[in-house]
Amino acid sequence: MSFLAPLFFAGLAALAVPILVHLTHKERKDVVVFPSLMFLSRIPYQAVRRQRIRHWLLFALRCLALIFLAFAFARPFLNRPASAAPVRGIGARELVILLDRSYSMAYGDHWTRAVDAARRAISGVGGNDRASLVVFDATASAVTEPTADKAVLTVALDRVKPGAGATRYEPAFKLAQRVLAESKLPRREVMLISDFQRVGWDGRDSPSLPAGTTINKVDLADPKTSNVAVTSVDFRRDYAEDRERVAITARLVNRSAEPRTGHSVTLQLNGRDVETKQVNLAANAAATVEFAAAPLPAGTTRGVVRSADDALPRDNAFYFAISRGQALSVLVIDGREGGAPRSLYVERALGIGDQPNFRVTTKRLGSVSTSDLAGRSLILFNDSDLPGGELGRRLVEYVQNGGGLLVTLGDRSAPRDRPAYASELLPTTGDVPIDRTADRGGTLGYIDRSHPIFELFSAPRSGDFTTPRFFRYRSITPKPGDEQLARFDDGHIALVERKVGRGRVLVWASSFDGIWNDLPLQPVFLPVAHQMAKYAAAYADERPWSIVGQVANLPSIFRDSTAAVDAANKADYVAVAPSGERIRLEGTARRSVELTEQGFYELQRSGSRGEPRVVAVNVDLTESDLTAVEPQLLTSAMLARAGTDSASSTIEASTPVDLERRQGFWWYLLAAVLLLLVGETLLSNQLSRRIAVPR
Amino acid sequence: MSTNAFPGVQFLDPAVLGRIGNLELVARTVVEGFLGGLHRSPHLGTSIDFAEHRQYMPGDDIRRIDWRLYGRVDRYYIKEYEADTNTNFNVLLDVSKSMSFGSGTLTKLDYARTLAACLAYFSNQQRDRVGLITWDEDLVEIVPPSAKHLPNVLHALARATPQRTGNIELVFRKLREQFKRRSMLLVISDFYEDPGKILDAFAQLRGRGNDLMAMHILDSAELEFPYDGATSFEDIETGERIPVIPEYLREQYRTMIRAHVAALEKLCGDQGVDYQLFDTSMPLDYALFAFLSRRQFLQRVR
Repeated sequence: MSFLAPLFFAGLAALAVPILVHLTHKERKDVVVFPSLMFLSRIPYQAVRRQRIRHWLLFALRCLALIFLAFAFARPFLNRPASAAPVRGIGARELVILLDRSYSMAYGDHWTRAVDAARRAISGVGGNDRASLVVFDATASAVTEPTADKAVLTVALDRVKPGAGATRYEPAFKLAQRVLAESKLPRREVMLISDFQRVGWDGRDSPSLPAGTTINKVDLADPKTSNVAVTSVDFRRDYAEDRERVAITARLVNRSAEPRTGHSVTLQLNGRDVETKQVNLAANAAATVEFAAAPLPAGTTRGVVRSADDALPRDNAFYFAISRGQALSVLVIDGREGGAPRSLYVERALGIGDQPNFRVTTKRLGSVSTSDLAGRSLILFNDSDLPGGELGRRLVEYVQNGGGLLVTLGDRSAPRDRPAYASELLPTTGDVPIDRTADRGGTLGYIDRSHPIFELFSAPRSGDFTTPRFFRYRSITPKPGDEQLARFDDGHIALVERKVGRGRVLVWASSFDGIWNDLPLQPVFLPVAHQMAKYAAAYADERPWSIVGQVANLPSIFRDSTAAVDAANKADYVAVAPSGERIRLEGTARRSVELTEQGFYELQRSGSRGEPRVVAVNVDLTESDLTAVEPQLLTSAMLARAGTDSASSTIEASTPVDLERRQGFWWYLLAAVLLLLVGETLLSNQLSRRIAVPR
Repeated sequence: MSTNAFPGVQFLDPAVLGRIGNLELVARTVVEGFLGGLHRSPHLGTSIDFAEHRQYMPGDDIRRIDWRLYGRVDRYYIKEYEADTNTNFNVLLDVSKSMSFGSGTLTKLDYARTLAACLAYFSNQQRDRVGLITWDEDLVEIVPPSAKHLPNVLHALARATPQRTGNIELVFRKLREQFKRRSMLLVISDFYEDPGKILDAFAQLRGRGNDLMAMHILDSAELEFPYDGATSFEDIETGERIPVIPEYLREQYRTMIRAHVAALEKLCGDQGVDYQLFDTSMPLDYALFAFLSRRQFLQRVR
């Protein structure tokens, strides 16, 4: 029960009046005439001035009348509880039970209480009512259609368990909105059973429930919570004598007002405890735990960082899957034999860094064979002619199958010497280089910073492209479909991209050798070279983990070689969830699987006996913040946008009849006050007569 | 109202008597009913009982010479009787405002004047001279004692109206010279005064050889204090008010009024004053019987 005007409870202070009256014995107005006060005046007055309360019945009547009066003015109304029984005589109702099954509901006894509340709501469904059970976390689904069959609802409820998802209220209310909108029953009611986490509602998008809808809340939030979560894991790799080791650092957050000392954290790799450490966590603070570096075995390593148990177990484990570093194999073709090599700068640039690690092989054009193309992620023609013959044909196939090709132009790469297939890979370039020495070199006038290559430099002061001077470059005439990524200040194209098959071709209009420009001497050279190489090679950073709710695109995961691409596109897949559920993905329409469970998913092509691909999935850690939103804010927002009248914008919107029914207690209270006052009048009159005349 | 304290006697409700306007009728009703129920004479102060013979002295009434004795001894002797003359019976009635109090239909003054009328009537029947003095803070009305003054006494009783406060000490001092010869003095009052002062006042009269009787008239409300609820009590004479919570001082009040009555009774007994407390709810004839029986008993003792 709540009150519309609780301020009227201040009226209870009036209880002091009867108390004082009954304690102080207010003198009556009618005076008793007595023959002589000779004896009365001898009795000390103070001794009888204040005594205990007398006339208890009269006192109780007066106090009760005041209390009832205050309650009546406070306008009590009934919060239909979770166990609300059907109210008869005012029509059937459409009840939608929204049951939060986000992983935070596993905190303490929340889930038990939630199920109990839902069970009570189901038991209150009347014969003419219909109810449906909707479970939600980040998404919402109706586990039953609207039905009056309590058995169906109960069985469905028994099957629901807390999931691994985060809380989002919007999908749940949208689904409830749809169910209620389709209903023709006169009363509509939503019962929201949740821990009302603040993260579940951004306060902006709120679906509008139909007019007259009542929202009943079952608030499971605890005012004081305690939770420690492992929020992230960081990897630091080092290489020693072809052995790769990884040092893992975990970050823990203590989301409680009490500090934790000696909190144990354990690192597991491939199911084996590697190291356990103790950490002290201040209240509402984070701490990091660094584990000793461990060698990475071949294949995929499944790792888990586990924190000690607490009331919310889901966020105590952080899963990840890592494998040895994926080095990009780069073949640099440094022109034909004879003449000085010109790949020093680019070799040095690619030789730096470990994300990714570039394995650079430099060869002269004459020494390149078709076998040199195999296994390459990128082939860089550094101011070099293109090969002809079989090698040229294989080069085209290489690109079409997804290989990367980066071509820089200089004085050794005259277009007149190119083979015929070159036009398929490269745009037309000018025979005569454009000489800008007269004006002290040109600069880059336009860079497409939205492109992945230059996206890195989109932030202010993240790369100065005005300093490199370009003294010579070749003009590029793009074909339709070619994408211009950078231009010189005179309008000539500096960098162009062409998609060939599944491969990418980048053509840089100048050289990387420091002769036609001074770019290799500028700070931006190294990141630009890395970005070009990674983009052309279609390199994607390895994702050690995913989040529940994300989707795993299987063809991209299995695209480990150009030869497997076609097969992969035609293959069926099998995904094994952490719970052991096998999900078969057949046909080209099903190429992805939604990650709904926490743990390791194993993905494999049907019929393949190789090692499965492993995807680690973690829960959304925003959910580990158990801070609750005021339930009334949430429900008010859902009702305020409903377009209903002003009454429905209150927390418990209702039809006028229902509203009056649940707020009509004040009538009874006032009637009780009236009866009490009548009784008080009769009793006090009787007492007055006894007082006025001697007995 | 009836009681079986005295079998055969039907007592009269004072309230019923109060509705009879004629005091003489009331007095006759009470006295004759009382005597009729008594079945024997009270023998109060007869004047025919022979006491002794005395030698004739010049100046004596020759009608009182016992001629039979003269025939035997040839000397003149006078016959003397126990009470050779009628007694003065004076009622000293308190008509102060406190006597106007009554919790029922009968005030203390109503009860007192009925009582006085009855006794005056009774005494007049015995050929006593009856007189009346009403007083409050001063003498209000005086009816000299006379065998023919019963109607005057009754009229004076009927006229008595409580108007002022009472002052027994002052009044009785004034009355000291009023009674030239020994009298029966009946003081009827509610005696709201210190017992010591009351007895001092009595001493003013008793010192003259008067036979003093005190009738203490109190309403039952004054004795029981049956009030309830916080209220103000106003002194009927002075108008003074005090706040009172009766239920909390009832017992103290009762104790004090009982102590007052007991003190009066004791002090009166010590000084040879007949004292009797009358509750206005008590039947008049019962009260009379109780008083006269007690007085007869005391006379025998003395």
